Amino acid sequence: MVSIDTVASDPNGIYVWLIWLLPFIGALIIPGVVRISKYVPGLTTGRVAIAFAAMSAVSAGSLFLGALDGIEIHDQITWISALGLKAGVLADPLSIIMANVVGWISFLIICYSTGYMKGDKDITRFWFWMMFFIGSMQLIVLSDNLLQIFFGWEGVGLASYALISFWYRDKAKDHVGKEGRTALGIMEYYSPTHSGMKAFIMTKVGDIMMLAGMFMIFAFAGTFGLKELLYETSWAVEMSAQSLLVPAAVLLFGGAVGKSAQFPLNEWLLEAMTGPTAVSALIHAATMVKAGVFLVARLGPLFFALGAAGIMADQFFEIIAWVGAITALLLATQGMVNPEIKKVLAYSTGSQIGYMMMALGVAGLSTQYVDGYTAGFFHLISHAMFKASLFMAAGSLLHVVGSRFMTDMGGLRKQMRKTYAFMWAAGLALMGAPFITTGFWSKDAIFAAVYESGSGWALPIFIIAVLTAVITAFYTTRMIGMVFFGKNSKHIEKMESEGHHIHEAPLSMWIPYGILAVLTIGIGVIGLSAEEGIHHLFTDYLEESFGIHTPHIDLEHSETLGFLSGLNPVALGSSLVAFSVGFGLGYIFYIGRWIDPAKFINSNIFFYALHKLILNRYYLNSMIYWSFVIAPLWLARGLYRYFERTAIDTGMNIGFERAIGWGAKVVQGTQTGVAQSYLYVFGAGVLFVVLILFI
Amino acid sequence: MEYALLQAVFLPLLLSPLAYYIGRVKGPTYATWFTFGILLYCTILVINASLGGTYEEHYPWTDLFGEFGFLLDGLASPFAIMIYVLCTILALYSKPYMVHKFEEVYKQIHNIKEDESDGQSTALLESSGLKTYVNNQSGLYFAMFLVFSMGMLGTVLSTNLIEFYIFFEVMLIPSFFLIAWYGDGPKRRIALMFFFWTHVGAVILLLGFLSIGLTIGSFDFADIDETGIPSDVVIIAAVAIIIGLGVKLAAFGFHIWLPWAHGAAPTPISALLSPAMIGIGAYGLFRLIVELLPQAYADLSIWLNFWGIATMFYGGAMALMQDDIKRVFAYSSVSQMGYVLFGIGSLSAYGLAGAELMYVTHALGKGLLFMTAGILIVQVGTRQLSKLGGLASKLPITAVCAVIGALTIMGVPPTSGFMGEWMLFYGAFETAVEEGNDWRMLAFALGLISTVLTMSYILWMLKRVFFGKIPENLTHVKDGSWYMLAPMMVLAGFTIVLGIYPDIFLQKIMPYMNGLGL
Repeated sequence: MVSIDTVASDPNGIYVWLIWLLPFIGALIIPGVVRISKYVPGLTTGRVAIAFAAMSAVSAGSLFLGALDGIEIHDQITWISALGLKAGVLADPLSIIMANVVGWISFLIICYSTGYMKGDKDITRFWFWMMFFIGSMQLIVLSDNLLQIFFGWEGVGLASYALISFWYRDKAKDHVGKEGRTALGIMEYYSPTHSGMKAFIMTKVGDIMMLAGMFMIFAFAGTFGLKELLYETSWAVEMSAQSLLVPAAVLLFGGAVGKSAQFPLNEWLLEAMTGPTAVSALIHAATMVKAGVFLVARLGPLFFALGAAGIMADQFFEIIAWVGAITALLLATQGMVNPEIKKVLAYSTGSQIGYMMMALGVAGLSTQYVDGYTAGFFHLISHAMFKASLFMAAGSLLHVVGSRFMTDMGGLRKQMRKTYAFMWAAGLALMGAPFITTGFWSKDAIFAAVYESGSGWALPIFIIAVLTAVITAFYTTRMIGMVFFGKNSKHIEKMESEGHHIHEAPLSMWIPYGILAVLTIGIGVIGLSAEEGIHHLFTDYLEESFGIHTPHIDLEHSETLGFLSGLNPVALGSSLVAFSVGFGLGYIFYIGRWIDPAKFINSNIFFYALHKLILNRYYLNSMIYWSFVIAPLWLARGLYRYFERTAIDTGMNIGFERAIGWGAKVVQGTQTGVAQSYLYVFGAGVLFVVLILFI
Repeated sequence: MEYALLQAVFLPLLLSPLAYYIGRVKGPTYATWFTFGILLYCTILVINASLGGTYEEHYPWTDLFGEFGFLLDGLASPFAIMIYVLCTILALYSKPYMVHKFEEVYKQIHNIKEDESDGQSTALLESSGLKTYVNNQSGLYFAMFLVFSMGMLGTVLSTNLIEFYIFFEVMLIPSFFLIAWYGDGPKRRIALMFFFWTHVGAVILLLGFLSIGLTIGSFDFADIDETGIPSDVVIIAAVAIIIGLGVKLAAFGFHIWLPWAHGAAPTPISALLSPAMIGIGAYGLFRLIVELLPQAYADLSIWLNFWGIATMFYGGAMALMQDDIKRVFAYSSVSQMGYVLFGIGSLSAYGLAGAELMYVTHALGKGLLFMTAGILIVQVGTRQLSKLGGLASKLPITAVCAVIGALTIMGVPPTSGFMGEWMLFYGAFETAVEEGNDWRMLAFALGLISTVLTMSYILWMLKRVFFGKIPENLTHVKDGSWYMLAPMMVLAGFTIVLGIYPDIFLQKIMPYMNGLGL
């Protein structure tokens, strides 16, 4: 236990520091490596990046076994002594597992990038920001105080800005969307530099909310430290008395909403697809959007634990659950109609993050906090694996086909067998294919947690969750069907006729996503025990670190199901049904191709309108542009033209000049030089004085 | 070291004729390094003096005004150090920029067309007429530069109202000439306008000073005790001082001169005017209002808070509308001074410390950005955003430095901008909670929102200069000379060091702010 004044230290702390410092060091030396690489054979920036990513991942890995035993490493140094603030690392089971997920997946993505980015002339900048990105994410994961987390938080935002607009020359092939398409007068076609700005500014909106939340807590607790906040909870009592605790918690969650692209700050995520695909994989699987979920996982138990002291933060958890549920459904529906493969995956990420938020939210509404908590976090891990794999595979497709549109692909299953197989494996995990994929177990755990939470909102959220699962299975099948089944598209035929041979991606590219796809299935097979392991670990973790006691539940009633004991039959059943319905519908339209989807949509006005509404992103993006871009610009222009140019510039500059000039003329007019008129004025003056004196 | 501050202030003034002479005889390179040497020496003196805590020097002056002293305490030292660091660095940066400018003016005077062949223009460069012209002008420039520097330093070190006022005006005179001689556009008219506005502000300030000094019979800071002054005089004096300094700060309503002056001034001078000089208005508010008139400060602070908010938003909105890059930065300075004003109005130690750190940050960030503008003017030959684009590949080092400067202004960690920003916003929040004041809470929320506006105009500026498609006539642009790049790299490095380890200044600032007893 740590009070505010002591400085915690731990001999193993150095390994924890290294996890996040190494990527930064790598980032800093990479520009130097370019200079000396001419003289040292075999030294390339890519290899340096791989080495540092590997070292960081290995130091995270070295703590992994400790995490299973529930160790906690807390190491601090003084930072801003003038304010009494300390910097520190906190490695507990939650952060160690997260650091491993981030570290190893980033490592694979870095390996993949050596193939994907080969020959790009700005490669140094790419490596610099990739390493910066990983370092910032690890900083978020391992920091022991909110201020330091915020450093990582903004670092992640900065890196995403730099990488989303990586191809800053704004060539047409790097744009997203379709040229000329508009929704409510807003162009649906974005350049990389525009998208980078959009991402940075939109997440900044979340960031200022988070900052405000941090300030609230700091104002009452006098510390940013996570351990310190837990050690002495009188701040919470006081805040709750002034009913500021829930607002503070919700504002902190606002940061997560921005970073994790949750409703209503979800719109940046789509345009983030202008970055190189390796970047998208990193953003979606390991860094950036996962930061928000991690923050909720980091802070959720803190607010839940306050419940023991009679300070309830139920609204906080309700908001998290609902934001998650709305986002899950909203983005999944949009994934059904989009023609660009990376955008489908992006929608899918937002939607899956919604699941995680949902689980972390309902956890706080139930007495079994650990159920939802485990489910959310387990889903984070499994999503990290399969989404990284899917993105990297999509990158291969883009690399080979040279187009981001799925309509330009088609029939690739023969030409790209490995990618085809791996994409099925990872895609099945996303769909939640029963019993053999990690996605199934984690999604099932979320269903169960929601269903069993006992909250008043459980049923509507559960229905949304199942509906989303149906849609997820559908759009994933659609994606695979459009890319790999049917005949080759005209685009591919044209490429082949021009002499391009469509072939499998190079080794350095398919191995990383192959590994992840295999892992997805591999862990999926033992998925139930993996989940139980995490469950057990987190039960202890929450108990020891936060004092959240989990009552043991009699599991006997479900023994009839044999190896599935402990599973909730309703959740399991819905999960199976959702998968089969979604997959079946997808199969009919896109793999079997028995019905033409275009004809189906145009068959009646309702489907047509719905399709258009969804394709136009529910007009949310357009409304954001109208109210937060166009309107303020219009206002600023008016202010500039009619206030600054007239009242200030003309009025205070030329106006003063004229006024003085005019005044001078008036005074000049009295200087006539005629002695008589001077004498008259003098006489009038004398008369005036005399009158005043006498009257 | 004895007389350290006396040397630091008066050495540049005394040696300025020598700088003129060296420039005339030996040319711009010698004058540059001479100026740089003097300022470097003085900077080291200031830094050295500030290392050992509060440092004071007192010298006899007339009985009428009191003592002539220099005080380098927790408040003054960050200001003093930043002013001299910037001056020193900009002395080097001035060389290529000003030589370019002199040549341009010479060509204009002698009606020489730009489009003459290369051979002829090189011949021209070596021609004796041009050489003499450049030498003369650079001597004059560096002499003025030195006087300007000492004026700014003197203001922040002074311990007496009259001394403060004298230095306050001393920095105005050389800056007037620098704009009137070396500016762009209608430079004389703009210089006059700048002079009139800031001079009128200074006179109002003087009225405030006189009303205090004549009431208590002393002008020394140490003798000013608010309780001894009748309360109606205090409030009049405080308002006069705030208005006088508000003109210097270019706070909303009094900002008219700033975009013109910053736009027209030669870029190294813009880079001094904007971050170093206008911030002295903030220094004045700290010293004269917050420290010396605490009760008046407590009463007026909420107004400063909202004035700051208005300035933040107004400056930001205007910056969005500009096409001239230097005017973007000028309005951005208005907006940033709004942050400082907001911080000063926060009525808490954190907020005040944050506001002071904001000054330092702004000096670094805006210095970098103005220097970027200078490189664009020299290397690209235009400052219109609509004619620029995609230059990141042509000016890589400039682009990196500009991005670091931009991040500093936006307040993104790990640059020093974040350190200033979170502290001043936290300070405002703290007071709002303590007082239970909804207006202050509103100001806090609006302040946070305005950071998004700041971010928008800065990112948009970056996009229009460095990213996107490159115009065809700019494909042969090259990066600036090391005289320009090295100073930028120093500032860029410093902003990151300070962002990660703000203790460098906070260790001085915080004890002072805590000592105010807020």
